Amino acid sequence: MKARNPNRWLMILLPLLAAAAKPAAAELSRLGDGDLARVSGQGGIYLSGDVSINEVGGPIQNSYFGACGEAGKKCGARLAYRLREDGGWFVLDDIRGSFSFEGLTLRVRHIDSGFGGDGELFNRDVIELGLPNVVRYHDVQFKLAASNMARPTDPGFQQTDLFSIEMQGDVTLEGNLLVFPTGNP
Amino acid sequence: MLGLSGFASGEMTSLTESELSEVEGTGIGIVLEDFKFAHGTDIDNGQVFKIGGIKSSDGQDVEIVVNKLYIAGSSSNYGANLNPVNLGRLVNPFTIDVIDGNSIGVTDKAVLNIAAPTQVPQAEGYDCLSGVAVLGSGTCGSRPMTAEFAGERPDLGLQLNITVGSNQSANFNIHAQSAVIDGSYLRLWGDDQRRQLVGQFKLNFYSPELSINACSLDGSECGSRIVMSDFALELALGNELQPMFLDVDGSGNFVAEVQAIPKPAPGTIGSDGQQASSDPATWQFYNDYYSNPDYRSNLMIGDLSVGDRNYGATRVDGMLIQYLRIQTKDFAQ
Repeated sequence: MKARNPNRWLMILLPLLAAAAKPAAAELSRLGDGDLARVSGQGGIYLSGDVSINEVGGPIQNSYFGACGEAGKKCGARLAYRLREDGGWFVLDDIRGSFSFEGLTLRVRHIDSGFGGDGELFNRDVIELGLPNVVRYHDVQFKLAASNMARPTDPGFQQTDLFSIEMQGDVTLEGNLLVFPTGNP
Repeated sequence: MLGLSGFASGEMTSLTESELSEVEGTGIGIVLEDFKFAHGTDIDNGQVFKIGGIKSSDGQDVEIVVNKLYIAGSSSNYGANLNPVNLGRLVNPFTIDVIDGNSIGVTDKAVLNIAAPTQVPQAEGYDCLSGVAVLGSGTCGSRPMTAEFAGERPDLGLQLNITVGSNQSANFNIHAQSAVIDGSYLRLWGDDQRRQLVGQFKLNFYSPELSINACSLDGSECGSRIVMSDFALELALGNELQPMFLDVDGSGNFVAEVQAIPKPAPGTIGSDGQQASSDPATWQFYNDYYSNPDYRSNLMIGDLSVGDRNYGATRVDGMLIQYLRIQTKDFAQ
């Protein structure tokens, strides 16, 4: 399947834009592939985040899920996956809490030095994800379990909770995650 | 809509398993630069890291408080000084890749391969167990720390506090110095007959010093340190002939199983077990199976010492898993 030529849309849109932008005297011209190739991006993306998962209540209000304040009910999210046809389910259960971070960065970086001499041999671009130094967890918890049914509301539901994890406070996470293709494309 | 979709002329068909196994995909390489991870429990500063939901055999709740967990540069002095470290090399990174099963003995399958840096020829590698290894001294790709460079071998540590019911134990510490996991991998694919996820797990873990000790709750007084120097674990769970099956059974319990190697058909192996009296192909198959070092697990400890007593070297070599089945059991049921 061939993708539609985006220039077709530009040809329609540009006259419209030109008409709208009448007071501007200079004309915009498209960048050629060669010109574009010479553009080198400055900086990257800087992200701060605050992510909450089911901190207050469950997604489905029924006999099993409910608000986090209700004793005897689960409020966390549930993720079930099966490794065999007609087999049981692995479950990440009761996932809830929130975590926040400041200063996750994303950029493309060229490496040609450092890394104990590896940088010079490598001499390529990588995607660099700058870790935020500190991630603040607030009541983050989840359970690892094995279950015979996907949903707790399914008939005959049985589940074995293997263990649960609870995390709170500042987690030190420093460094850069570098991602790049391996092999010969 | 009809007008817009008029351009699509071809129809997509799904790739068969054997077509997929031909795919020579380029994988993803991952390196962590100047990495440092630390978390733990410090109630006064609002830090909590707990593992719960476990029951003892007599039904009491077991709570594990992780006082400290760290991954940092070598010479951390048991986690006191956390410095950054690199994990993986740009020229030998951690990889996530889909590989052709035929190249690793899994016929006509696409295999998901998640691997640590690979082991390399001795001329290009470093001794896996030495914290001061130089080029050409061994088969590990990851380099130890030097005065100029943090290296790719982290110090790892875990301090736990286990409470069973109302009984609180002492602090339990485990530290590994200058750890290397080169050559480890996890391979996953699907099994047609059982319609199930199967895998092969190889864990190589080398450390010049793995130590365990117990301290009082406030950490002020510690017992003798059990030190395992030159610790090398090469664990092989599952192989291409006996893959590991992962499943959950009908009552919701986790099951991991390594299948037994099939028995030879009657008459294919001579009564004296010699090649001359056996079917050549069958004999060769079993000979290869029993002589392949990749299928075997090894544990070597250069020296075991407790306090000021030395107990010498320990070595468990060439363990072959014939059959393995691990199943969880819920005491609550």
